[in-house]
This record gives sequence, structure tokens and C-alpha cells, in this order.
Amino acid sequence: MKTNTLGYKFRQYLLFAGVSTVIFASVVIIPFIYGLYLTFTSWDGVSRNKPFVGVENYVNAFGDSGYWVSLGRTFIYSAIAVVLVNTVAFIIAYMVTSGIKGQNFFRAGFFVPNLIGGIVLGYVWKFVFNKALLSLSNTIASGDAKSLLATETGAIAALIIVSVWQYAGYMMLIYVAGFMSVSEDVIEAAKIDGCTGTQSIIHISIPLMTASFVQCLFLTITRCFMVYDVNLSLTNGDPYGSSALAAMHVYNQAFINKNYGTGQAEALILFVICAIIGGIQVYVGKKGEVQA
Amino acid sequence: MKKKLVSLVMVAAMAVSMVACGSASGSGDGAAKGDGVSITILNSKTEIQTQFEEMAEEYEANTGVHVEVYNADTDTTVASQVATRYASNDPYTLTMVDAKDIYSLADDYAYDLSNEDWASHTSVGITVNNKLAGFPFCVEARGILYNADAIKKVTGKDFDPSSVATLEDFKKLLDELVAGGMEAPVGILSEYWSLGAHWFPMVYEEQADPDAFVNGLLAGSEDLAGNEKFNSIMDTFETLVKYNYAKGAASNADREETSMKFAQGDIAFMFGGNWDWSVINQYDYTENLGMMPVPQNTTDGTNAKLVGGGSKYIFVDSSDATSEEQRQAALDFLNWLVSDAEGNAFLTEKCALVPAFDNIDASALDPLSLSVKSYADAGNLVANYNYLPDDHMTVVGQEIMQKYLDEAIDRAEVAKEVTEYFKTATPIAH
Repeated sequence: MKTNTLGYKFRQYLLFAGVSTVIFASVVIIPFIYGLYLTFTSWDGVSRNKPFVGVENYVNAFGDSGYWVSLGRTFIYSAIAVVLVNTVAFIIAYMVTSGIKGQNFFRAGFFVPNLIGGIVLGYVWKFVFNKALLSLSNTIASGDAKSLLATETGAIAALIIVSVWQYAGYMMLIYVAGFMSVSEDVIEAAKIDGCTGTQSIIHISIPLMTASFVQCLFLTITRCFMVYDVNLSLTNGDPYGSSALAAMHVYNQAFINKNYGTGQAEALILFVICAIIGGIQVYVGKKGEVQA
Repeated sequence: MKKKLVSLVMVAAMAVSMVACGSASGSGDGAAKGDGVSITILNSKTEIQTQFEEMAEEYEANTGVHVEVYNADTDTTVASQVATRYASNDPYTLTMVDAKDIYSLADDYAYDLSNEDWASHTSVGITVNNKLAGFPFCVEARGILYNADAIKKVTGKDFDPSSVATLEDFKKLLDELVAGGMEAPVGILSEYWSLGAHWFPMVYEEQADPDAFVNGLLAGSEDLAGNEKFNSIMDTFETLVKYNYAKGAASNADREETSMKFAQGDIAFMFGGNWDWSVINQYDYTENLGMMPVPQNTTDGTNAKLVGGGSKYIFVDSSDATSEEQRQAALDFLNWLVSDAEGNAFLTEKCALVPAFDNIDASALDPLSLSVKSYADAGNLVANYNYLPDDHMTVVGQEIMQKYLDEAIDRAEVAKEVTEYFKTATPIAH
């Protein structure tokens, strides 16, 4: 049997990847293209007719100041959250691989927040911020303290705190795997050469763990840019709509304000921005990878 | 060869698992189709979901019609859920939506109900393009909820709501309550729907001609800051803010906590509607609760009226996805609600709703609903205005009124920002 003809290769492809391709196309590719089409209509989200309006939605999206404000807010939120998540995750990972007592228990413990859904997590933390912390501070300082969630910067800070708490455990797992992949003999060789503990982390472990950093950064950046569930259940945009992040603005635009086309166009812009940032980050990160 | 076999098995396993995920969600329909007719309802009044499900079981036992009740997801809008079902060509037979949704859905999807027996018993059905599209599920109204027991405990006198119709008298009573030891007698919900869809719209609804006023705002020709009704409503709002138990940290106060304080008599007044009963009755409430009009210094009579009307409308799907049989069963169900004693009992006793039909006896209702019923029967309801732009609730409620509630901006700025908002708002065609 000839194995280098086009027909053979195509049959091989169908055999191995045919079903997956069909499913992938029907749940990802086609909806994506259809969504793209909807950005050129003034559909209200429910009606049967979808009037074609050209690039009007993109013009609206670029003129929607609320969208750019929420996008700017998302940049700030993401920048802080990404740094904090990865710092915290890295430190925890270092601690639970350093051979302390009960490190498996700690690994499991730090991972647990990640198992709770974002919506539930938001409600739990809302209670913590609005009730628990408030009555605690009122008891200690005896006064009418304001909940973190009731102030504009406080609400964003609260979102960051919750995100760090939620994602740090998950990223920790990836860093733990990174630490484990650095072989003992390299570390030992460094020690013999006179490396201190900190020096060996900075000059040996971290360069060898670049793959972990690339992965973790990619995951946290994309997740932070797309966050919606915690945003919804923790603040729902309160106070004064000052904590609505980009994804929430897009949702409200499409489904509450019933500008489906504009919302979809804004979602696409968000996707493009996210893809560019994620792509650059992975490209730069990959270049920096070293082999032991 | 062995390698190839292993990868084939893996591909198959992956495909199967993906297909399995896909079919799990679709299996509901198969189960729903029993012997008799089967209809589906989207219930967007989520607080009565349990009662709805119990009723569906009894209804099936009595009539043989299987009623599948879907609880609307409170995390997204009802309109988006309806849209999803229509997009997948699997609409609900009966869909319960808000009044304003009827206008966007009626032309495409609603069956004409004008020939139904119940049509003559109600005055609040929604007609779109000569088609009676919306079955009014209940009447709801807004006003100030009062706890008469809490007031009497401080003042020693029975509370008569008509004695505080003017803002001056209302303030006197509030001062008396404060002097008597109730530090802050008022609760205001900080949720944007309460501020943006319930409180602020009174400014339009109590105008002589709401439609002309809103159109004037949209055209930029109306002077909101100088408007008498705007100032009257805001005078009252500022009074409520002054006596708010959560003053200074208004957004700390959530609906549950405010309702609890009200039910137990820690506060005497809160702004809300008869739907708040479903929250209040979870707590240890005192006996004499009720609803009164929002106090105002006015002579136009609106301070003797609640604001409200028909709320939550059901439409019957007119598309081909619903069979004639199902449609008939759906129509029968609506008739059953209005003309059958059990249907009536479901509305008034089990769900504690104020019926929108004059033939239904509603004496067993909760105190808030009884207040609404008495105002409605006497013709003392200011009608809802259903044509506010879609983003009015979030922009005016969240971005403007929440700041005002927190005293972060003053009245002039409220007027300015609302006026600005209307300049770019998209009007609702009607």
C-alpha cells in the first residue's frame, strides 16, 4: 500500500482526528465564525431578524467610553493579580518542596480553594468582607468601619485578594512540578561550588523552571482578563459600577442593554487583546527557556 | 502496529467522552414526553419555584398534562435564556418574562390570547400590535413598607399611614421615633435594581404625561433639575437617607439584613414592594405590617397612591416548535389559573401573589399584598412606565443613584448625570 499519497494521508487523518475535528468545529470554530457574523448585525439578542449594519458595532464599541474604562480597570487588576498570584504561588511551592513536615497536607490545603466554583467563592468572600471582617474591625476599633466592598478602590482590591486566594494554589502545583524537575545533582554541584541557598534558587532553579513560569503566567493572564464569575458574585459592579471588569461590561452590554452586536464586537476586541498579550508572553518566555 | 492500535483506542475514547458530554444535556426532553401532553414553563419568579413544582405535580395528577417547570437562572437575564431556547429551536411552551420583554418578543413569538375567557377579567394584560400577548401573572406595587408594631412600641399610638402622607408629617414621625429610642428608623436597599428600576422611575411615572416627559429627556429638551416631581421624589429620598440605619455605608447593607431588621421591628420603614414578603416571611416578623404611598409634599394626589400594576407576564409560544396540542394545553393551564378554585388558591394562597383578575378572591393574602389589593381595588395605583431604555437600571441605578445614596454626589449632579445619560440612551420603540 502506498503511504505517501494525499488520499492515504487524508484517510489516516479522518481515522484518527476526524471525529474530534467535527466536534471541535461544531462547538468552537462554527460558533466563533457565527459570533463574528453577529458583530455586523444590530441583533437585540432575541428577535428573529438580524439586520446587517456593517461596522457600526465596532464604531460603537470604540466610542463606548464605559468599555474602555472597564478595560483599563481590567489591565490594572490583571497586572497586580498576575504578579501577586505568581509570587505567592512560587513562595508556597518553594516551602512545600523544601521538605517541611506535613508538606503533602499543605499542598492539598493550598489547592482546595481552586476546587470551589467562582460564584460560590464570591458569595463566601462577600460574607467575609461585609460581615466577618466588618464586625471584627468594629469590635477592635469600635467605630463604623466601611466594608472593603463599599469603596471604589476597595472593591478592586477585594477582587484581587480573592483571585490570589483562588489561583495561587493551582499555580503552586505547576511550580511544585517545576521544582521537582530540577535534578538533585545540579543543585548539589552548585552547593559544592559554593552556592548559598538563595543563589541556587536564583541561578539554578529559576532558569531551569522557565517552562513553569511561562505556563503559569499564560494561565493567570488569560484567566484574569476573562474573569467574570467572581466579579459577578462578589461585587456585581458595585459600588457605582466601579468594579465592573471588561467581561462583565461586555455581558451587560449584550444582555442587559440588549445591544447584542455591540457586546459581541467588544468581546471580540477583548479576545484579540488577550490573544496578543498571551502570544507575546509565551513567545518571549519560550525564548528564555534553558536546558540543563 | 500495536502503537497504532493504542492510539486508535485513545481517539475512540476521547470521541466517546465528548459525545457523552454533549448528549447529557439533551436527555431531558426524552424523559419529559410521557403519555399525555407535555408542556414547559420558564418560571422567572424564582422565589415561588417550589410552589410551582408542587402545583405541576398536582396538575398532572388531575389533568394528565405534564408540566415541566424550569427555574430561571438568576445569574443571567431572562431575555438571554429565552433567546438561547429560541436559538436552539426548543422554546418553552409558556414563558414568564417582565413586562418590557413582552414588547420585544411579542411580534415574533407570542400567540394571540384575545379570545381567551379570562381576557375580560383583567385590565392589565399587554397588547402589542392588536395582539393580546401577555397574560398578567400578578399585580405588584411599590411604596414604603411600614412596621406598625415597631412604631406603636415607640409612640404608644396605633399607626395610621394616611397621617404621614406629606413629607413634613413623615419627618415629624421619624423624629419622634428617633427621640423614642429607635436610632435609625429607615432601611433603603442599595441594590441597583431597587434604586434604578423601582425608586427613580417614580420621577417619570408620576408626571402628568410620563411618555412625553421621557421623550423630552431623550430629546434633551426637558429640565430635570427644575422639575417639580423630580425634586419632590428626591426630597423624600434625602429624608430616607438621613434616617437610614446604614447611613454612610449604605452598600454594606444587603437585602436580607434590611428585610430582617424590618421584619423584627428594629427599623420601622423600608422602601420596597409586596414581593419583599417572600424575604420578610423568612424571619420572625411582627404582626402588623403594611404598605403605604411614598410621602411627598404634593397636591397632585400621588402621595395617596402606590406605584405599580401588572407584573411578570406569561406568553404562549406561537412558533412551529410547539404543537397545536401543546398550545391548547398551555391555554387550558392559563384558564385553570384564573377560573379554577385550585388555580386561584395556587396564586393567592401558595404563592401569596395579588391576582390581576377581578373574579379571584384574595382575602387570604399576606399583609403587604392586602395593602396592594386595597389600593388597586380603589383605583389608587400609578401605572408602571415600561419603556425606559434597557440600560436605565444599571446606569441610573448603579452609577448614579448608588453614589447619591452614599452621599458622594448631590442632587444637582444627579440631575445633570441623568440628563447626560438620556442624551445617549437608545429609546424603546413602542
